[in-house]
Parts: sequence; C-alpha cells; structure tokens
Amino acid sequence: MGVTNAFKALAVVTALALPASAAAQETSVIGVSIPAATHGWAGGMNYHAQEAVNRLEEAYPQLDFVLATASDPGKQVSDIEDMMATRDIDALVVLPFESDPLTGPVKRVAEAGKWVTVVDRGLSEDGIEDLYVAGDNPGFGRVAGEYFRQQLPDGGKIVVLRGIPTTIDNERVEAFQAALEGSGIEILGMEHGNWNRDDAFTVMQDFLSKYPEIDAVWASDDDMAVGVLEAINQADRAEEMWVLGGAGMKEMIKRVMDGDRMIPVNVTYPPAMIASAIEMTALKFVSNAPVSGRFIIGSVLITPENAESYYFPDSPF
Amino acid sequence: MQPAPQTTARPSAAAGHAPVLALAKVSRSFGPVQVLFDVDFDLYPGEVHALIGENGAGKSTMMKILSGYLEPTSGEVTLDGAPVSFASSEDAEDRGVVLIHQEFNLADQLSVEQNIFLGREIKRGFLLDHKAMRATTNELLERLETKTPAWATVSKISVPEKQMVEIAKALSREARVLIMDEPTAVLTRNEAEILFRQIERLKAQGTAILYTSHKLDEVARIADRVTVLRDGRHVLTAPANELTEDAMAEAMVGRELSNLFPEKTKTSAAEAVLSVKDFSIPGIVENASFELRKGEILGFAGLVGSGRTELMEGLIGIRPATGEIRVNGKARQIRSVDDARKAGIAYLTEDRKERGLLLNQGMRANLTLLALKKFSRVLIDRDAEEKALDRSIREFDIRAPSREIRVANLSGGNQQKLLLAKTMLAEPEIVIIDEPTRGIDIGTKQQIYQFVRRLTDEGKSVIIISSEMAEVIGLATRVAVMRRGRIAGTLEGEDINEDAIVRLAMGLEGRKAEGNG
Amino acid sequence: MANATTAGKAAVKNGRPAIDLHVIGPIVALIVLIIIGALMNPNFLSYGNVTNVLARSAFIGIIAVGMTFVITAGGLDLSVGSMAAFIAGLMIIVMNALVPTLGTGWPTILAGMAAALAIGFAAGLFNGLLITQARIEAFIVTLGSMGIFRSLVTWLADGGTLSLNFSVREVYRPVYYDGIFGIAWPIIVFLAIAALGEIVMRHTAFGRHCAAIGSNEQVARYSAVHVDRARLAGYVLLGVLVGVATIMYVPRLGSASSSTGVLWELEAIAAVIIGGTVLKGGFGRVWGTVIGVLILNLIENILNLTDLVSPYLNGAIQGVIIILAVVLQRQKKATR
Repeated sequence: MGVTNAFKALAVVTALALPASAAAQETSVIGVSIPAATHGWAGGMNYHAQEAVNRLEEAYPQLDFVLATASDPGKQVSDIEDMMATRDIDALVVLPFESDPLTGPVKRVAEAGKWVTVVDRGLSEDGIEDLYVAGDNPGFGRVAGEYFRQQLPDGGKIVVLRGIPTTIDNERVEAFQAALEGSGIEILGMEHGNWNRDDAFTVMQDFLSKYPEIDAVWASDDDMAVGVLEAINQADRAEEMWVLGGAGMKEMIKRVMDGDRMIPVNVTYPPAMIASAIEMTALKFVSNAPVSGRFIIGSVLITPENAESYYFPDSPF
Repeated sequence: MQPAPQTTARPSAAAGHAPVLALAKVSRSFGPVQVLFDVDFDLYPGEVHALIGENGAGKSTMMKILSGYLEPTSGEVTLDGAPVSFASSEDAEDRGVVLIHQEFNLADQLSVEQNIFLGREIKRGFLLDHKAMRATTNELLERLETKTPAWATVSKISVPEKQMVEIAKALSREARVLIMDEPTAVLTRNEAEILFRQIERLKAQGTAILYTSHKLDEVARIADRVTVLRDGRHVLTAPANELTEDAMAEAMVGRELSNLFPEKTKTSAAEAVLSVKDFSIPGIVENASFELRKGEILGFAGLVGSGRTELMEGLIGIRPATGEIRVNGKARQIRSVDDARKAGIAYLTEDRKERGLLLNQGMRANLTLLALKKFSRVLIDRDAEEKALDRSIREFDIRAPSREIRVANLSGGNQQKLLLAKTMLAEPEIVIIDEPTRGIDIGTKQQIYQFVRRLTDEGKSVIIISSEMAEVIGLATRVAVMRRGRIAGTLEGEDINEDAIVRLAMGLEGRKAEGNG
Repeated sequence: MANATTAGKAAVKNGRPAIDLHVIGPIVALIVLIIIGALMNPNFLSYGNVTNVLARSAFIGIIAVGMTFVITAGGLDLSVGSMAAFIAGLMIIVMNALVPTLGTGWPTILAGMAAALAIGFAAGLFNGLLITQARIEAFIVTLGSMGIFRSLVTWLADGGTLSLNFSVREVYRPVYYDGIFGIAWPIIVFLAIAALGEIVMRHTAFGRHCAAIGSNEQVARYSAVHVDRARLAGYVLLGVLVGVATIMYVPRLGSASSSTGVLWELEAIAAVIIGGTVLKGGFGRVWGTVIGVLILNLIENILNLTDLVSPYLNGAIQGVIIILAVVLQRQKKATR
C-alpha cells in the first residue's frame, strides 16, 4: 500500500467512525499500552494517544479506555498483565517498547481471544495481531538517503547520529546506507545520540573537532537535530554544512517552511499513528467495518513546498 | 631496654605432658615496625595460661599468630609438637584453635542461634536442621547459665550477653585451645564468675586456655601460669602462685609502681558548681538529684545498667530528659552537646570507639572536633590545630608512631588519652568521665589518674563513673551509688568502702544512707 | 603500635609514605587519558576541543561538588538529575512568563536565575528535611523525589519539550558560549565553585563536621556537632548547586524536557567516587571530584574522537574505568 493510500484509508476509516450510531451496547474496554514520553517523538505520540482516547470516550459512551505508559519493557509487560487481570479488556492497542520482550505477553492476550492492535514496532512472531499500524522505518532511512544523494551528486563527506540502539534504528540506518551505495558519499562517522538533544550536542561537538570537513549531517531525528545545530553554530561552521533531522517536529517544519538553508527538508514519521490505531480499534467495537490487516504509514519528504500541510503549531511535538 | 630475668616454669601437675600449641623464636613485623621479638611460648592441655602486658606489648599480635589470623615473620608455630602454618583462622578453628576477639565477631542482625552456627550450619539434606541447632544452642546457653534466648537478635542483647554468645560459639566448635582476648573487660562480677566456672570446667576436660586480662586479681585467681610480655619481648613465664599482683604489675611495666592512686583532694564545704534536681529520663532514670562541688571528684558507682551512663547522657542533652540543672547557681537548658559545652560541661563516653573518636581519621581532626569553634572563624586555623596537638601530645603523653596515624591504630590507652585531650580542649569547668580506664593497662591507668587529679588542682570539678570498685574508692572524695535508675545513696570520706557501695548498689542498705548527699 | 614506648619518643612529623596510590591514582589516570587522547587525535588538545570538554563537564561537575559534601557526610542524593530537569523546566516557564512584563533582556534572565537558585534551595530543603526530620533513609527519600521531579517536568512540558522564548535565548546564549580571556563561562563558574568547595571541605568547620558525621554519626553527636543541621545544610547546598548548574545549562539548548539530566545523578556519584571520596562517607575531597568528572568526560570524548571500539561499548569502557578507579583505592586499604 502506497504512502498516500494508507493515509487515505485511515482518513476514510476515521470519517466512518466519528458520526457512528451510539447505540446502547455492552461496554467494551480497550487497553492502550505505550512507552512513556521520554523524548520528543514519544511525547507527541503520548499527546495523540491521550487526545484520541478523550475524543473517542466522548463520542462513544459504550467504550471505556485504559491508558498506561511504561518507562521500560518490564513495566509494559506488567501493565498489560494488569489490564488483563483487573480490567478485563476486550482489546489491546500496544506500541511495544521492544519487540522481543513484549511478544510473549501480547501473544497471551491474543490467545485469550482479545483483539490485538500492534503499533509501530512489529512483534517478533508473525500473525499474533489482528491489526498492525506502523511507520515505515526503512522508508525513513531510504527517503533521507535519496535526498542526500540528490543534493550531493558529486559525493561528499557526511556524519550520522544514530538513535537508541534498537531495531528501529538499525532498520533506518541500514536503509540509509543502502540508498547511499555507489553515490560517492562518504560517511565519516556514526555515533549514538540516543534521540536526545544533550547527547547529540556532545557527539556533534566531537565530530566537529575530529573532522575538519563536513558537508552534511544526517541527525535522523529532530530532537538530535536541535543539539547538532547548536554545536555547529558554536563552532561557527554553519556555512559549511546542512542538517537533515526527521519525524516532523513543528519547530523544524517551520524552518523548512521558512526556507532555512541549514534545514532544507524533513522526513515524516508521524506520532499520530497511535491515534489512528486507537480509532480503528474502536471502530471494531462500534461498527462492523472491517478493520483488520496491515497499515504502513510511509515516510515522505517534507519540502518548503509541502511543509504547510505538515505544520501543527498546537501539537507538543 | 634491659633483658628481663627469664624464668621458665613447668605447668602444674594437672596439665598434660606435651604442649598442645607453642611458639619458638617467633617475630613479627608490620612494615618497618617490629612488634614481636623472638618470643618463646608454650601452652599445655588442661592449663589456664594468662598472658599479660601493657597495651601495645604485643599480646594481640601473639594471640593472632597462635590462632591463624597472622603469620609470623620468622620463627615457628607448633601444634601437637609438629610445625604448623595455619592457612587462615578457619583452618585454625578446624584444628581446634579458637580465638574470641575483644571486639565481637557477631553478625548483628542474626539471632544468637544463627551466629553460633554461622558457616557451620547443621543440615539435613539441603535444608537447615533448625531443631538440632536450637537444641544444641539451648544446651550451650544453659551450660553458660545465660538467660539469653536462642532466638534473640544479637543487636538487641547486652554486651556481656554477646560475650557469652562468643564463648558458646567457641564451645560449639569443640575447641581444644581457647584463646580469649580480655573476656572479662565487659562483664560484671557475676558474669565473670560464671565465665570462670566455665573455664574451670573446660580446663578439667583438658582444654588449653590462653587468656589475657588487665585485671590482675583475676589472673592471680584463675591462671595456672602467667606469661608477661613487654614491648614485644617475652619477660617471664611463671606459675601464678609464685607471683604476687605487684610482681606481675612490675614485670609488665618494667619499673616499680608507686601508689596507683594519687592523694585525694580535700573538699570542705566548697560551693556546688553543678546541682541537679529531680532529673528523670523516661523509663531509665527517676528523680535523680545530686550536687557536684567545686574541685572535687564525685564518683558514680552501681551495677551495669543502673542508669549511670544514661543519667550523664541526659545531662549533656543527648537523651531527652526532664528536671532542673543549675551550673554555678544559674539554671541552664541543655538540649544538645553543644549546649552542654557552652555551659562548661564535657562528657567522656565509656565507648571511645563508637562514640568518642573517629577511628578512621587522624589525631588532629579528632582532637579539635569538640572545640572546633575555637579554631575557626571562617576558615580553620591549621597551625593552631597543630600547635594544640603538640601541646596535647606533651601534656597527656600520647604515644604514637607518627602524627598522621589513624586513630584506629592507636592502642586503647593512647586513644583514651587523646579523648581526654580532646575533651579538655573545650575547657570545661565540669568534666564527666565514664569508665576512664576500661581496657587500659596499669601503667596508663596510673597516668590517667594523675591527669584527673591534676584537673581538680586546676579548679575543675570531676565526675567519675566506674564499674571498677577500686577506682571509685581510690579517686573519689564522695561516691553516689545508683540502683535501678535512682541514686540509692551518697557516701563520703571514711564511709567509702567496697562493702558500703555494694550494699547500696544491691539495695541491701534500705534508705539509711540516703540524705547524705 | 606494639612499640609504643620507643616509637612514641619519635612522634615527629615523618609524614606519609612517598607514593600513595589512593592520593595520586586519579591524577595518574587523568594524565594517562590525556596522553592517549593526544596520541590518537591531533585535534584532542586543540583549544576548541579542550573548551568543549571542560564546558560540558561543568554541569555534572558543579553538581558533583555538592554531591561530595553529601556523600562525605554519609548521605546520597539520587534526585539531582531529575531536579536539574525540573529546575530547568520551571526556570524556562518563569522566564517565558516574565517576557511581557520585564521584556526579553537581562531583567528576565536574572529573575530566571534567581528562580533557579530558589527552586534548587527548596528542592534541597525538601530532601534534607525528610532525611533529617522524618528520619527516612536518604536513598529512599531521593529515589522518591527523583521520580517526583521527573514526573513534574514531564507534566509541565506536556510530555514534550519546554523551549525558552527565542529572543530571551539570544540574550542568554552567551552565558554558555562566551567567556572572558577565551575561557568559557561554564568553565569559570565550575572552577570557581570547585575551588570554593575545596576550601570549605578542607578548611571550614562545616567540611570537618561532614567528615565527622560520615565517619561516625555517634561520635559527631557526642562531640557537639549539630548533626541534623549539618546534614540538612549539605542537601540544601547540593540543591542550590543544581540550580547553578541549571543556570549554565539552559542557555546551551534553550530547552528542557523529560530527557534532560537523565542519569546525571549516577555520573555525579561516579565522579565523586572516582575522585577518592569514600561512598560510605567520612572522607571527601573536592579536587578529586573535579578530576573524576574530567575523567568521565574525557573517556567519552576520546571514544568519540577515535574509532577504537564500537560505540555500543562506550558504556562498558566507562564502567571498567569506574570500577578500576575504586579497585585501585581499595588495594591500598587492604594492605593496611
């Protein structure tokens, strides 16, 4: 399914869902388990989840939501077990912290006959979930790589900041490297900035000390881009390079919109996917719409031309 | 140092024929400092052998070598006539040589029973055999005539009880050689008597017992043979009945000891510097009232646990208390040690290791801690501190191998002198000294008595708390005796004698002596 | 000690043994690291890199100076990282709120700084009172407040990031990036606080009392030390220093979020211990802490500047160095 198609599909589903007949039915309980807001993107995702839950509870009195945020995989497993044991949920929407540790517990939920929606990070075993809604991690890296290729046709020297060492990060970086293959672009160095501004600042400072010549930076995340930009400004080397972040933080979109030379473009990885997933799951219980399957929300390049449609000044991210 | 006359003696007839444990020409050094010089020693089955000497004479080192805690630098240890080199103290224990430390080796949070079997638990399969261990423990405790229950947590039992647990632990190891480092230092007379009976019993069973004590009367009573160490050298070994207490003391000190106690001060009707009225500490001290006169030494006697220490801790604001305190006629509120210091009252704790001195710090930091305000405006004047340390070392004859030494490595006597110096640096008018000579050798004791006496000459007033009857009698001009949290009576002048004190302490005197205060 | 009589007469200043690993260990480690760094990368000793490393050491460094006092007095504070995030968040909110009245210049920033110090003071007081008055273990109290501060900042930021007003930020920015005589402000503040801390630790009654309480609280109490007061003062001092660190931190990125200051507490504690302060208390040295902070930051810097090991292993290298530093100090004790 293409990028725009997926979005359209979601839009249709959402449109169906909202004016639904609030027929007096048995109350259904939907559990939502997501990682805590430990960085910008997760903060946005938390915001969208909460917002979706509030909206849907308002619209459908027969739906009841249990929202839990976890700061580590262990806590998330406990959350899910508690939901099963004490809240008797009918469906689970889960954005797994890590794939492997969550696979078993989520599988048990599915085996108990509950509806399972998995968001963003796939489980280690296929066929557990009824519905899968995810961002396109390889696409995220590929789109970024292609942009680098296009901007540096004669090759060049770049540095890369990676996220927290996870499957997501690996998929992105592998796709990015694959896209660069044969382009003559040399990756001088890759270090983990852990999707954190402070860490990215430090790593970039050291890159700047180490490499006298850098043409561009793939910060791979907008939080990290903030730290990277600050380090570049401090070293007074802003003229020399540009930076590509990712995930569509509103401040960064704004700079793309304004035609900032250092932030020419951005790549989407919408935190709102959790809201879509919750809505589609809710739909299962309030209508007979067929909602199962896999929905991949592709990553697109945000350019000054289309930036306006990705700019949400009220979102926290 | 002249070589002392060597006397060797055979053990009493009751003892076995060959020594079970012996040292031959054993020396030991710590770095550049040699602490034992070619010591010869033997211990026979079925004898009680007392090892005496001043603090720092090398007794502890010798005992540690005998029990596998230390290895000799040179010389030989023989067990049953064969040279032996214990790999560790456990190895020594496995071969029947057990050392009971002066500082207990008990796990505070475990029960008496768990401690006794620590590391040697009786098991049935993989599980602990609680029943068997409880039975053995009860039997051991009964033998030792202690009322401590086997399930009691060690942190909650008293010091003498801990001593008994240590002994029970050693008995459970079926020790052939039992080495005891000042076992009676923390025991009351009664408890010591029980211990002596145990020693007799073990001896009759053929156990060899090595024992150190600063209480020479005890040594004279229970030891078969006595070995004296001085400055790391063997001075003499002789049957106990051939040595008088004076001879033992002189052999230890290496010089003739004049009178142990200084001449008493004469206090007539001097005015009271401290008067305490209706002083109570909930649950411990009830309505204590007493007066301390200027320039006198007031003794506080009574059994361990009669509330003497607690009363004084209440006076200096460490324990919450009610009652009236007047210093030089002026009522004072004392809520902290700092308040007490400002009122001119200083207290020397009986527990110098846990309450008196910072063992892991040097002498200077310890010396000035109480009177630190004198040395600091914004910054601490280190030169002034050094000078104060110089003065104290001189004045109190503190002997340390180096100025930078950690206080933990000072001998007990020198620690006590340092504590005394620290307290006097705060220039108190009233000095309360709790157990001034606990665990201290006779030479240092005499010195400390002189210091105390000198304080009164300087016009200061002193309270001495002591469990050693002789000390109270020898030093104090008046003696208050406590019993069960009350002051049972006060004795003065000719009336101060052992009999009178014991009668008051045991509650035999009724109310007769009261009102003398 | 056995030779008391003879040795006593020689009770003169013969000092310590010539080489004490416990004392010089951290310095040697630092020098070795500097040599390694210089050999690995010619830019290592460049002005830019040295400034970077020192300036980024400043936040943890300033906090670690305060932590040295708390640990020396036998305490611990796990909340400092969260506290820094919390203070940074509140400070940004306060400054943003003051823009309409005080404008976007220094008055707003000074008010923000005052707020940071006041909040730090209050946070330290909160920890200290619970520990000294309610008599709860420091570990538990600060573990609790760690969670409280962290949640509060997440809540204040709505799960996202709090950003300082752009114009204020432009005025405030030089506090991190500029300096005098080519030395950045964070470095100046850090070194000044470290120097003051060393003097307080070594030459004032407060420092002496901290060491006394840490080595034996009973002895301190019997020696007329106001134990609770001194411990409380330690936590308050630490809180204020966290405020100072935050004042230097906010102008760097102009933002605070729930990920600000994560694990700073452990880095600060590690720096203190590497520097030779005893974790159980009783002995502390501020200069050692400064070296500890530099060691930790240099390791990271060197690993970034070279391609010696996989970046996955950075944490392992740091861990090994921390443990080694402590092992070296232990060995000294064992031979006593």
